[in-house]
Amino acid sequence: MNENTIAAIKELLYKMADDLLIIGHRNSEWTGLGPILEEDISFSSMAQDKIGQAQTLYNLLHELGEQEPDTIAFMRNANLFHNAQFVELPNNDYDFSLMRHFLYDHADQLRFEMLAHCRYEPLAKVARKVKGELKYHVFHGNIWVVKLGSANEMSHNKMQAALNLAWNYALGMFEEGPFEELLKSEAIFEGEKSLQEKWLANITPILLKAGLSIPEPKTWKPVLGGRKCEHTAHLAPLVEEMSEVFRYDPTANW
Amino acid sequence: MIKSLDPRITRAEIELENPIDPLKDLDQWETYEVFHQKKRGDQHMHVGIVHAPNAEMAFIFGKEQFGRRGMSVNIWVVKTRDVFTSDYDDSDIFDTVPEKQYREAGGYKVMEKINKYKKGN
Amino acid sequence: MYGNAYIDPNDKSHAIIAGEDPQKLAEFEDRISRGEKVEPKDWMPAEYRKQLIRMIEQHAHSEIIGALPEGTWITRAPGFRRKLALMAKVQDEVGHAQLLYSAAETLGKSREAMINDLITGKSKYSNVFNYPAYTWADACIIAWLIDAGAIINQVANAKGSYGPYGRALDRICTEESFHLKYGHDNVVTLATGTLKQREMVQAALTRWWPPIMHFFGPSDKISNHTEILMRWKVKMATNDDMRQQFLNMYVPKIWDLGLTLPDKNLKKNAAGTWEYTEPDWEEFKRVINGGGPCNAERLAVRRMAEERGRWVREALNTAESKYIIPLA
Repeated sequence: MNENTIAAIKELLYKMADDLLIIGHRNSEWTGLGPILEEDISFSSMAQDKIGQAQTLYNLLHELGEQEPDTIAFMRNANLFHNAQFVELPNNDYDFSLMRHFLYDHADQLRFEMLAHCRYEPLAKVARKVKGELKYHVFHGNIWVVKLGSANEMSHNKMQAALNLAWNYALGMFEEGPFEELLKSEAIFEGEKSLQEKWLANITPILLKAGLSIPEPKTWKPVLGGRKCEHTAHLAPLVEEMSEVFRYDPTANW
Repeated sequence: MIKSLDPRITRAEIELENPIDPLKDLDQWETYEVFHQKKRGDQHMHVGIVHAPNAEMAFIFGKEQFGRRGMSVNIWVVKTRDVFTSDYDDSDIFDTVPEKQYREAGGYKVMEKINKYKKGN
Repeated sequence: MYGNAYIDPNDKSHAIIAGEDPQKLAEFEDRISRGEKVEPKDWMPAEYRKQLIRMIEQHAHSEIIGALPEGTWITRAPGFRRKLALMAKVQDEVGHAQLLYSAAETLGKSREAMINDLITGKSKYSNVFNYPAYTWADACIIAWLIDAGAIINQVANAKGSYGPYGRALDRICTEESFHLKYGHDNVVTLATGTLKQREMVQAALTRWWPPIMHFFGPSDKISNHTEILMRWKVKMATNDDMRQQFLNMYVPKIWDLGLTLPDKNLKKNAAGTWEYTEPDWEEFKRVINGGGPCNAERLAVRRMAEERGRWVREALNTAESKYIIPLA
């Protein structure tokens, strides 16, 4: 692989890994505080899956010459993170957390599905390995969104409001990077546009079944910038928290 | 507002005095009995219950609570109220008079006859 | 993780076995002495049911409240390995609460009623969780030593007479062995690490020692009541026996790491019994009755979690759902 291709793969890996780490971190905040014991356990498992997947991707980055996974994940400044702003937003109520989980995991599942035959074999291998976890996450998200979207007036309204709040941020997940064409021509990744189309096609029938409406297309304004390391005020404190113990004694092995 | 050692709690902005209405009956939903199969070929076994509002969620919860360490390959859930159970008080219905060797393997002893037959020839 | 059930010595309400059908009682006691388990729909003395509900319920509360001190460090656990393990551990505690509430439900108290009694302060949970986890090392000490204490208690109780409780504890003990290893690995890492780490873990250990000594509860008064509970295999070991077992297993491991314990009188005597300064039981009572550093916060957090989840639970309830006591 030439240098350009490597740079393109790194960019792809960084955004995927950072998304997973940050949403996994946010979702882990529910552990012990969820709406009912059983769901608390389920949501925590999926948060663990996401953080584990992030670790796997940071490992690939490490193999490509980047620093150790722990160093990249826990010791980087917030202004070096490539995650979409969507995943760094605070959890709010369970409605928003669930809706984000639903919207994010559909995209994540498709992205990995598209990568299962990617020409960069290490990534293709990871994509095949996490298939079951993602299928389960999407199954969980679908059931919850359909049930709460259509249960009673309050839950319907809350889920609709969560969808409205999440929508433009969710579109920001598909922010294009500088290597779209290269990734496509090298048969690594089909590109964000194609991913977004598939994503829309997958979530639309589920949201319909939930009785929820996707905001009018003319109002869509994707919140961009995350992929270029531009973030909301919420990311820096989160990253600071993650590194607090490390920073207490940076020379130590924890 | 609670200023906690746990940043999650501080962010949740809770008052120390925050009385709430008691949980009502069924607040925690009804229960499902969970059966899992450890590996293909095994029987499904009862492993416990989950509280759930519908069967799909009962499945999700059962999978997580009883199979999250890869202990299950298949799960069944059934509403507790749909299970017909026998009563321990009626345990004696399982007692049966022992003279029923005709349905036990041990009730059939052919070697004696075979040996006798062989000797006779 | 868990602390021993707290039986209020001033509770005079037990008439114990007065009024029970003598023949049924005899059959019940025979069953237990034969080593058979009692199952949910079996006849049982009212006092047996009452004490088991109290004990299992307190145990369940201890798990869900116990998720909070360690949860304090969930967003800050250093590195992937620690973070994933801590998440899994706290998740297990929530899972244990679920298993235990379920076991208690089979005795006829609904989960709603138990949660209501928890959040109003009516029922107790293990005292140790009313102390804060100031540093990462506190979370490590909890994971190692509090879980170690819990295992001693739970292994004993798993052999008790009530089937559903025993089954829940068998599963819990399997998971606790991961907690114990995880906790030990953490403490060893800190104790054998840099000077700052060592200081951190020593300070945490010093802070946690008094609550750990309180963990198994005051010496049991050898009363009629305790004797009956032991005969019924509800209470499986005395508090002092469990404390001795704990000291015997863990003090040497602590000393091995060159860590010190804040009790000059702590030593094993010639008879093999551990001697120690009598824990401050006034402090124990003060904390269990609400005066500890974190009691108010713990309950406020539980109320918050219940309240914020209420719309979710209410929305999904269907008109046709109907609660009956779970089977096992």
